[in-house]
Amino acid sequence: MSTYRSPTFRLLAGLSVTLTAVALYSGYTIAQLRGLERLQTGIVDRNRADSLLLLRIQNDLNSLGLTMRDMLDGSEPYRITAWRGQTRRIRTDLEDGLAREAAVSPLGRTSEQRTYLTDSMRQFWDALDRVFALSQNGQEAEACNLIRLSLQARQQALSTTVSRLLVQNNESEQQAAARIRQVYAGVTNNVYLFLAAMLVLILLTSVYLVHYNRRIFDEVAVLSARRSELAQQLISLQENSFASISRDLHDDFGQILTAVGAMLQRAGRHPSASDTLRTDLREVQEIVQATLDKVRMLSHALHPVVLDEIGFEGALEQYLPVFERQTGIEVRYRKTGEARELDHAVSIHLYRVLQEALNNIVRHSHARVAEVRIHYLPEAVVLEVEDQGIGFSNDPASGMGLVSMRERASLVSGRLELENGASGGARVRLTVPVAAQDVHA
Amino acid sequence: MTRRTLLAGAAAWPLSAAPGLPFQLSDVTASAGIQFRHNSGAYGAKYLPETLGPGCAFFDYDCDGWLDILLVNGTSWPGHTDRSTMRLYRNNRNGTFTDVTAGAGLAVEMYGMGVAIGDYNNDGFPDLLVTAVGQNRLFRNNGRGRFLDVTEKAGLGGRSAFSTSALWFDFDRDGFLDLLVCNYVKWSAAHDVFCSVDGKRKSYCTPEAYHGETCWLFRNRGDGTFEDVTAKSGIFDSTSKSLGVALLDYDRDGWPDLLIANDTQPNKLYRNLRNGTFEDVAVRAAVAFSEDGRARAGMGVDAADFDNSGIEGIAVTNFDNEMMALYRLGRDGTYSDAATAAGIGPASRSSLGFGCAFLDLDLDGRLDLVAVNGHIDETVRHIRGNVGYAQSPHLFLNAGNGTFRDVAAEAGGGFATPKVARGLAFGDYDRDGSPDLLLTTNQGPAFLYRNRQLSGNRGLRLHLTGTKSNRDAIGALARVFTPDGAQSRRVKSGSSYLSQSELTLTFGLGKRDSASRLVIEWPSGATQEFSHVKAGAYHCIEGRALTAE
Repeated sequence: MSTYRSPTFRLLAGLSVTLTAVALYSGYTIAQLRGLERLQTGIVDRNRADSLLLLRIQNDLNSLGLTMRDMLDGSEPYRITAWRGQTRRIRTDLEDGLAREAAVSPLGRTSEQRTYLTDSMRQFWDALDRVFALSQNGQEAEACNLIRLSLQARQQALSTTVSRLLVQNNESEQQAAARIRQVYAGVTNNVYLFLAAMLVLILLTSVYLVHYNRRIFDEVAVLSARRSELAQQLISLQENSFASISRDLHDDFGQILTAVGAMLQRAGRHPSASDTLRTDLREVQEIVQATLDKVRMLSHALHPVVLDEIGFEGALEQYLPVFERQTGIEVRYRKTGEARELDHAVSIHLYRVLQEALNNIVRHSHARVAEVRIHYLPEAVVLEVEDQGIGFSNDPASGMGLVSMRERASLVSGRLELENGASGGARVRLTVPVAAQDVHA
Repeated sequence: MTRRTLLAGAAAWPLSAAPGLPFQLSDVTASAGIQFRHNSGAYGAKYLPETLGPGCAFFDYDCDGWLDILLVNGTSWPGHTDRSTMRLYRNNRNGTFTDVTAGAGLAVEMYGMGVAIGDYNNDGFPDLLVTAVGQNRLFRNNGRGRFLDVTEKAGLGGRSAFSTSALWFDFDRDGFLDLLVCNYVKWSAAHDVFCSVDGKRKSYCTPEAYHGETCWLFRNRGDGTFEDVTAKSGIFDSTSKSLGVALLDYDRDGWPDLLIANDTQPNKLYRNLRNGTFEDVAVRAAVAFSEDGRARAGMGVDAADFDNSGIEGIAVTNFDNEMMALYRLGRDGTYSDAATAAGIGPASRSSLGFGCAFLDLDLDGRLDLVAVNGHIDETVRHIRGNVGYAQSPHLFLNAGNGTFRDVAAEAGGGFATPKVARGLAFGDYDRDGSPDLLLTTNQGPAFLYRNRQLSGNRGLRLHLTGTKSNRDAIGALARVFTPDGAQSRRVKSGSSYLSQSELTLTFGLGKRDSASRLVIEWPSGATQEFSHVKAGAYHCIEGRALTAE
């Protein structure tokens, strides 16, 4: 297995780059927004407020114009002084408007412009006061002349001045609007750039992660294959060892114990043997026989020789009654299809899976009945062991027994299925394809 | 009784049942014998004055204790022959009236607009100022049932204008009633302006098409003549386009101030500076413009203590889509428009209001508000779908919690039937203690609505006669105290639109049978106080005790 460097460092580095980019971009955006705000409050808002006040001033100047027109048209039976209250109201509003306008006038306004406006206004009021004074003294004609010659001209000049200021405000507002548009365009471009950079970063990170994951998965697959190979070697080794020990036990110890038994029998039949001796010899003979039985049983357990001798089916038919006797669990055996001789390796693994499945029934199922079914299909041999117990838990694949069954299935290219049957009990199904039956030794 | 009025009366009966309301209105125009139709003189020239009249008045011209009715009328334009005059109806004291116009000397042809009633010569008989397009007329009541035209003699002659509402008040507190006349715009048939909605046919112009005209203030010299103090007093304002005027004491200094409603121009609030001059404080007091800073089309106006706070609020009717204004005065001397919060604004949004008056219709001690409506343009529905030419009047019942509910449709008598209404006056013509309503309509009939209490509410009615003060006691303030609180009501001429209501004050006592205290502040500055005044009608002569009437 080759070793790979952990991706954490690279990912952290990427994250740092991303965060730095976000921070830098946020800083840039905030700076742009502040600039916009300055532009807006400094020029646009100020201009707008100033323009509104200039409009108010212009409106008052127009009212003054209309008032002077009324003063001159002679339709009222009153002296010109009658308009004193009306002009006072306009003057109050006008002076308030001018004071407010001076406070918010745009930064570009020159002091000459300001002075001109205030001086002209003062001169206008002075002239108006003279008009009222003349009227008060009964000099209506002179008062009217003064309105015509001086006041109306001043009012028009003032009105023109205010109009020019309004135009100036409009122009600087348009300039500011153009600058604002530029800022917006710059910010928009940078947003696109930022988004593109982020996309590239995300793409690179994703490619890196996909590549790394693929390597990890390959590694895991190799590890799994090796583990499986090891397990299968272990099982083969175990089977070979068991077969060897079984043969030794059966052939050597079996022969010896059989010989000892025959000798004891012969000795017991000897005429010189006393009854006591004969009795002892018989007991020893029985012990030898019991030992022989146990050796045979052990030998069979380690490696069912019957498999070699009478094949899988025969071994099965011998084993199941023994199992029933030993465990008290009733086994219902059924066979379908036409039986055929199986490869030795297949036979041993089928036999071991069967044993393991039955042992599991004894240990876990709480069942009193087990069913063993063997189906000879044209393309496969299927062994099914099913009980009517409590079934598999959520994770049936755990435990050494089941791992061993899985590996054995793998050794014969078979498929092991562990599931709960219709009755709710556990069902183990091993399917061994025909092609495999000649391959595995 | 004409067939029309008979049908209208019959149709009104099923509507007169007003479950839930403590009072009921019934249309008694026909049964009272009032047969009047306003003649605006309209013949197709679409002259501006045609759209605005006429006014009406409740007053007791023969001083028999029963309110009579005056209905102002226009007349045909020169070259047209349909003549008409104002109408004076004498109260027969049995629910009916008799037309006494000719006998009273009032069958005078003039293009009348509004009316203000006041005893300017303090002889005990109410005199008549009829405003007009052209020359206004002052009619002196000779006390023997006749009116004499004293316009020239009084010094009011030679003044031609488009006059609208007028108001008598004693601004210099010399005991003689002075006269304020509102003028609308500078208009004459000779200088009529052509306006058109479709570019072809002439339509009525809006006031923007004309120059404004100042209101006039005439000081009563006390010898039957008047002095024009318009300029001297500071009332002069050539931009005003005035339609309504109300008397109030804005700064509560005991000197009468004026609120003038202007059409498309800022309203004026003339504060009396106690030296014969006035100062316009409308902008400062926030009644010149609407809350959003526009000069609305102010028509009618009334001022009264509608929330029983002791401070007079103001109602102004405006154009459709402008809503009525209901101003409450704050501690800082500025008004705020509470119309929306009070429920009056939304209800009046599509109404073009004219006459309006605060009065206690159900005698529960809280002033209700009646406003009559009607558009100036017959073709308005083609232009604005939600606004009609004839419109329902509003009858806003004061809930006592700062809100009003329009109950016109429940009041009975067909009161809510749409009308092209203009003038509105109230007065207890049948002396049952409840104020009744008088309406005029443009180019249509007048309507007299009798008000009847259903829940047993009682009232205290107070007729004041000044001795040191002007004889009508105009400007006097009376306060009535009950365990429920205090009510203050002012004797006033003018208010509403082109119209004059009775001068007798009505205090609603609800189910109570007496007021614990009654305080009268006379225009002269004198104050009188009475305790434990039972419900009923009283007469009080300045400086003397109360007498039952």
